[in-house]
Amino acid sequence: MTASFHAAEIELLRSLVGQLLELVRGDQTHKQDEDWAAALGLAEDEPKRPTDPVLLRLFPDGYDGDDEGAADFRRFTERGLREAKSDNAATVLASLATTEGIEPEERRQRNKTRIELDAHQAEAWLRTLTDLRLALGTRLGVSQDDEDEWERLPEDDPRRHIHDVYNWLGWLQETLVRTLSAGLE
Amino acid sequence: MTAPVEMERPEVEEAPTPDTPWVTVVWNDPVNLMSYVTYVFQTYFAYPKRKAERLMLDVHEKGKAVVSEGSREEMERDVEAMHSYGLWATLQKAGDRG
Repeated sequence: MTASFHAAEIELLRSLVGQLLELVRGDQTHKQDEDWAAALGLAEDEPKRPTDPVLLRLFPDGYDGDDEGAADFRRFTERGLREAKSDNAATVLASLATTEGIEPEERRQRNKTRIELDAHQAEAWLRTLTDLRLALGTRLGVSQDDEDEWERLPEDDPRRHIHDVYNWLGWLQETLVRTLSAGLE
Repeated sequence: MTAPVEMERPEVEEAPTPDTPWVTVVWNDPVNLMSYVTYVFQTYFAYPKRKAERLMLDVHEKGKAVVSEGSREEMERDVEAMHSYGLWATLQKAGDRG
């Protein structure tokens, strides 16, 4: 499938996905020496329940009202989930990078840049767009049917701009889901 | 003709029913798109579109829905998969009120 983006949209996506990648990788990348210990189950730094609401939304408890069960579940799953989300974000960044090397002048002439996505890349985009929207939506504190409240914010309120980005990502994802769903039938 | 033999009956324990004692619950959230949640139910669980849509509407309107049942291990796998899709899910014993 093909997606077309303006140069500014590609820059925006690259920046957002880059930040997401840092967030989901967490401090793991700085602890590569301890990876062998973690692989053997010897690491002391078992994943703890995140205090940041965004991380808690990306890596939620697996049990409701059972702290011990939730801690066990986190110990067995969080590392893998972080890796999977990192891989997806890296795949999206790589597909965005294919637009690099095109001269800005040529880009302007083309107006929009086309990005080709195979099935694997489309799936990575779908999940990464979800993670981005979960992160932005949690940070903003969106709730069900609150569109009017965001519309009423003053033009210069930074939250309004972030909410516009959030909505745009939602539109992008809706388009992608519709295309992929059509292929299921 | 033989006299009835006193058979020792095996003691019936409170055996855990291995069939379907656990469930995966997906909870409503204000971020995920209805179309996406339906797509996840269709692709991960291989549910037909009609069933996937009904479960999605249950999540949206009732706040949560049981989307699968099975052993505890199977449900942990399903919950982990839902988290990888960005859906908010937990597992619990079947019949427990969440």
